[in-house]
This record gives sequence, structure tokens and C-alpha cells, in this order.
Amino acid sequence: MASRDTRNRMTATALWVFVAGMVGLSFASVPLYQLFCDVTGYGGQPKTDVAAGPSEISEKTITVRFDSNINPNLPWRFKPVQRQVTVRLGEERLAFYQAKNLSKGDATGTALFNVTPFKAGQYFSKIDCFCFTEQTLTAGQVADMPVQFFVDPEILNDPNTRDLKTITLSYTFYKTEPDEAPSDAPKTAARDDTQLNKPEKG
Amino acid sequence: MANAADAHHDEHDHHMPGFFTRWFCSTNHKDIGTLYIIVSFIAAIVGGAMSWYIRLELAEPGIQYIDDFQFYNVLVTAHGFLMVFFVVMPAMIGGFGNWFVPLMIGAPDMAFPRMNNISFWLLAAGLVLLVLSTIIGDGPGTGWTVYPPLASADFHPGPSVDFGILALHLAGASSILGAINFIVTIFNMRAPGMTIHRMPLFVWAILITAFLLLLALPVLAGALTMLLTDRNFGTAFFIPGEGGDPVLWQHLFWFFGHPEVYIIIIPAFGIISEVVSTFSKKPVFGYLGMAYAMSAIGVVGFVVWAHHMFTIGFTADTRAYFTAATMVIAVPTGVKIFSWLATMWGGSIKFEVPMLYAFGFIFLFVVGGVTGITLANSSADVVFHDTYFVVAHFHYVMAIAAVLAMFSGYFYWVGKMIGRQYPRGLAKLQFWVFFIGVNVTFFPQHFSGFAGMPRRIPDYPAPYEGWNYVSSVGALITAIGTLLFFIVVWRTFSGPKVADNEWGEGATTLEWTVASPAPWHTHEVMPDMTGKAPAE
Repeated sequence: MASRDTRNRMTATALWVFVAGMVGLSFASVPLYQLFCDVTGYGGQPKTDVAAGPSEISEKTITVRFDSNINPNLPWRFKPVQRQVTVRLGEERLAFYQAKNLSKGDATGTALFNVTPFKAGQYFSKIDCFCFTEQTLTAGQVADMPVQFFVDPEILNDPNTRDLKTITLSYTFYKTEPDEAPSDAPKTAARDDTQLNKPEKG
Repeated sequence: MANAADAHHDEHDHHMPGFFTRWFCSTNHKDIGTLYIIVSFIAAIVGGAMSWYIRLELAEPGIQYIDDFQFYNVLVTAHGFLMVFFVVMPAMIGGFGNWFVPLMIGAPDMAFPRMNNISFWLLAAGLVLLVLSTIIGDGPGTGWTVYPPLASADFHPGPSVDFGILALHLAGASSILGAINFIVTIFNMRAPGMTIHRMPLFVWAILITAFLLLLALPVLAGALTMLLTDRNFGTAFFIPGEGGDPVLWQHLFWFFGHPEVYIIIIPAFGIISEVVSTFSKKPVFGYLGMAYAMSAIGVVGFVVWAHHMFTIGFTADTRAYFTAATMVIAVPTGVKIFSWLATMWGGSIKFEVPMLYAFGFIFLFVVGGVTGITLANSSADVVFHDTYFVVAHFHYVMAIAAVLAMFSGYFYWVGKMIGRQYPRGLAKLQFWVFFIGVNVTFFPQHFSGFAGMPRRIPDYPAPYEGWNYVSSVGALITAIGTLLFFIVVWRTFSGPKVADNEWGEGATTLEWTVASPAPWHTHEVMPDMTGKAPAE
């Protein structure tokens, strides 16, 4: 039987492992929560890992509304081009937001996004979106920003969501510092008057 | 059985160290326990003064005394931190835990006496940093929950919140080291024959509390570090525009914060078990049930944290889970309450001062606990969140119940610690003044909260004035009760000497087999507990 001192030290070492483990877990919570929300759609996190559209397009339709917000630090005007669209479940649709840099210099922003009600998050799939990269606008520049999405028909099979009539997609732009390579073409369309006059693109 | 029941402990074999070595470089569990209790008293006066200042302002609608609202928020924040981290925890865990765990298990000291000392001095340093945080810069006006973005650099520039974070790092480190010390001591250094299932319930309580500290505090440390780097070193854990989320802080903080409240109350449960048993002259009813009820409370306490976050917008299913899990904790808690009552039933009750406090604890913890069950209902909580109903709930379970348990432990054990008797009559008067004071202070806050009064505000609309005035009168009575307590403490030092076992046959744990005051070194030869009755 080891001496009292040795046994005490061994017990203490085992306990330090717990301490280190819990500290590690608290830092690991950052990617773990992100993973959890991406997979489950909790908190209105839309799915973005879709390679292609769903297999079938349903006859049932749902209304998708578009909301926009700007953090006061970013001197842009940012609005959806169309306030809402009615889309069939499973149908891929393209929608646009328009941003204008109101300041006298370059400004770079990144958009965060969310859908409400939160329970619809796992059924709202974004195939392509300006929000995946940061956007730099020069002084006075106007840009149309596309979002390509569909609403998964599986939404009808979930008792929590089958009666939903409206989903709202919301973006908030925050100011960020630009990346080192500003020549990266931002995923924005050049200004095109014809886009503005066609609120619903089929 | 030999023990060092030596009245001439000053003429011990090895010289008593000089003042500086004895009190600043201590490796003696009794002296370190005394130091913790002194810190607890000082912090209680400061934290109490802050609360009385807050109640003075809230006595009437309108602003009378505190027109600097940042200062008001700093008072609210500092009051919370002081009471939780620098009054209740040091008194019960650092103070009574250090004093009586080695005594009760027959050990000569803690497993790591030097680490014990550094635990204390880390706490003292943390207290200094907390005080500094309030006087350097604008002060941390965040509430004890320190939520970003209010606590982030945008809204609290300057060093105050950083000082507060570092204060909590030190206090947390102090508790983690102390927890390791307690667990190793209790696991490895019990007297021969004292198996785990024969040690006193107070020791069980400290063991369980130590495990909660071990697992919960590192998460707080991680979260605090993230906030510190967000504020100062360019990270973005909690900054949405750069990919972070303020809700992450809430998850991490409350993952620590909920076990923290069990860390506060479980030692109180341990004290009450000892006191009720002693003054009923009966072993505690259902020893195993009591030990494992505390364990169950500790374990389940780790999976209910989001009941502090019902309004952030998670799904109904998630809210349903946290509601149900929170209510589950009432079951082992109920086992404990009924077991204490069953202990008294058929016993020979003596209404000594510690027992008065124990009765008060049992009754008022139930009152506070049931409002917790009300709040556990997520739908109701949407209305109650951040109102005075919540303030009333947690003050009942912490400021009333846990503090009554601290007083109970103090009056139970002070004779063992300093060898003198407290003035009985004055102590009974102090009990009644304090009891009335805290109830008049906090019971009306249920009504204010029910009527929708928000918390953390310096002023309120006129319709809330009635119960606020009553509550402030209660605060005055409580202040008088606290003053009376310090008079009792003062008078105890010149009271009559007490016997080694001043409580008689009901006091069956090992600390009553050593002299009063306990000699500087005790159990130098471990007592042999084989075949003895369980020291319940």
C-alpha cells in the first residue's frame, strides 16, 4: 500500500484531469454548439450544407418574407428587393437584397442570417447566398445580393411545422474589417435596373 | 484512544510559530478556517451595507440618494458577488469545512496544508481585486451575471470589468484548489473504521460540494477567459458581427451558475443535519437517503441550467425538458426535508439557539424552494423573468435559508472554536430580530414581482411603492439584527468557558471528543473507529 502522501498525490492528479477536462469542454462548446445548431436547425439556423435541391416539388405553397437590419456601425442602406414571395415547397427560388454604401469610403460588411419561426430552420435550405462571404462596397456603390433557397417539403411531415403559412428570412449586416485580398470578387450582382423591376424571379 | 485533549497547548512540543508565520503562512486547518470566517464577516458587512443602501433608495419612488445609475448598477453587482463568493462560500466551505472536516473524520489536518493556505490567500486577493474593480474606472455595472454585450468592451470600456473577471478567476482558483484538498482528504484520510457510509453528513455535504466545485468552476473560468480576450485581445466569442454569440456566454455562465447555487446550499444541508440530530438527541433519519439525496441534487443540478434562460427563444420542447428536469430536483430535496422532520419526531428537542436557526432554515428553505418550482414553469417564467419574484425566490433560499444555516453552524460550533459560550439571551433576541427582518424584507418582494416590478432598477412607478416601503423597513430590521450578531460575537470572547462537549449526548461526532477550544493540533494519533457507531 503506497504511503499516504503518494496516495494523496495520485488522487489529486486524477482530480486535476477533471478540471482540465471541464475547461477544455467549455472552449470546445464553441464549435460543438455551432455543429449542433447546423445539424438540427435549432434557433432558426437554416441548413446550408445542401448540394442540390430536394427530389420533388409539392403543390403546396408557403410564403417567404424577407427582413433586413443594419448594425449602426455600418453606413449602408440594406433592403430586400421583394418584401415576400410565394413559393412551392421544394421549388428553388432566387431572391434579392439591395445594399448601398452611403459613406464616402469603402465599407465592408458580413451578414448574419436567421429564419423565424425557429422551428422552420431545419426545413429552410440556402443553396447559395451572399451571406457566405463578406462584401466590400466602394463609396456610393449599389449592389444586388442574391439568395437562392428552397423550403423542404418535409416540413409537411413534422407536426410542429405542418401548419406554417409564412417563414421569415432575416439578415443583419455588421461592419467588419476587410480581408487581406480585397480583389476577391464579392458575390454580388452588378447594378442592373431590370432586376429591380422584376420582384419575383422564377 | 489517545487524542491531544491537551489544555496546555501553548506549551506544545514544537513552538507555536510567530504571528506572521502563524497567520500569513498557515498550514493549520483550524487557523485557515478562522481566516476564512474573518473574511466572510468583513465581506458580509460590506455586502450588507450595499444592500441597505439599495433598499434605502428603493424605499420610495423617485430618486433620493443614488442619482448615478452606473453606481447603482455597480452596487447591485458588487452586492451579489460579495455575498455569493466572499460571504457564504468562505464561511461554510472555507470556514466550517476546513475547521470541522478533519476533526470529524479523525484526520490531523487537510491532505495538502500548504495548498489550503494558498486557497485562502487567493480568495483574499480576489476580494481586493473586486473592491478595486468598483473604485477604478466606472465600476462593473453588469449584474453578477456579467452578460455581454453590456459587459463587453463596447459598453463597459475601461478596466473595471477586467478587474472583476480577474477577481473571479482568483476566487475560482481558490475554490478549485480547496475542492481538490477536501476530496483527497475525505477519500484518503478518514480514521480507520470510518467507512464512507459512516462519516458525518456534514462531511458528505462538503464532499459533494467539492465535486460540484471541481466540475462547475472550470467552465466559469473558461467563459471568463473568453470574455477577457473578447474585451482585450480581439477574439469574438460573444460578438455577433464577427461570428460570435452573446447567448454562448449565458450557456456557459449558467452551466456554472446553477451548480453554484447548490454549492451554496448543500453545505447548509450538512450543517442542519448535524444540528437537528444533536438537538433532537437522535441520529438523522435515513442516513443513506440523506447522503444520496444530496448527491442526486448535485448531479441533477448540472442538467437544468437553461431554466435561467427561458426567454432567449429556444423551442417549446426544450423549455419543456428544462421545466421538468428542474422540478425533479424537488424530489430529493423533499426527502431531506421530511427526513429532518422525522429526525425530530420522537426526539428530545432542546430549543438552543442553533436549533432555532435550524427550524427557521427548514421552514424558510421550503418557502423559497416552492417559489423556485413556480419559476421552473417556463411559461410562467416568461412573465416572472427579471422581476422581483425571482429576486424574492433566490433571497429566500440564499440570503435567508443559507444564512440561517451559517448562523446555526456558528452558534453550534463557536464554543469548539474559541472555547467560550455566547450570551444565550442576547443570541435568542438576535435570532428573532434577524428572522423577522429578513422575512419583512423579502416576502413582500414576491408581491412586487407578481405585479411586474423589474429587477436591477433604481426607481419604479408609483404603484409599486407600498411593498417596496415595507421591504425597506425589513432591511432596517435586518441591519439591526446583523449589528446584534456582531455584538453577540464580541461578547462571546469574554463569555464563560465551555465544556469539551457543551451539547451533551446528542453531539456524537468526533469534534466533541476534543477539548474546547480545540487544540492547535488534534487527532495526532487517529482515533480507531472500528466497531463504533456511525458518526451521524
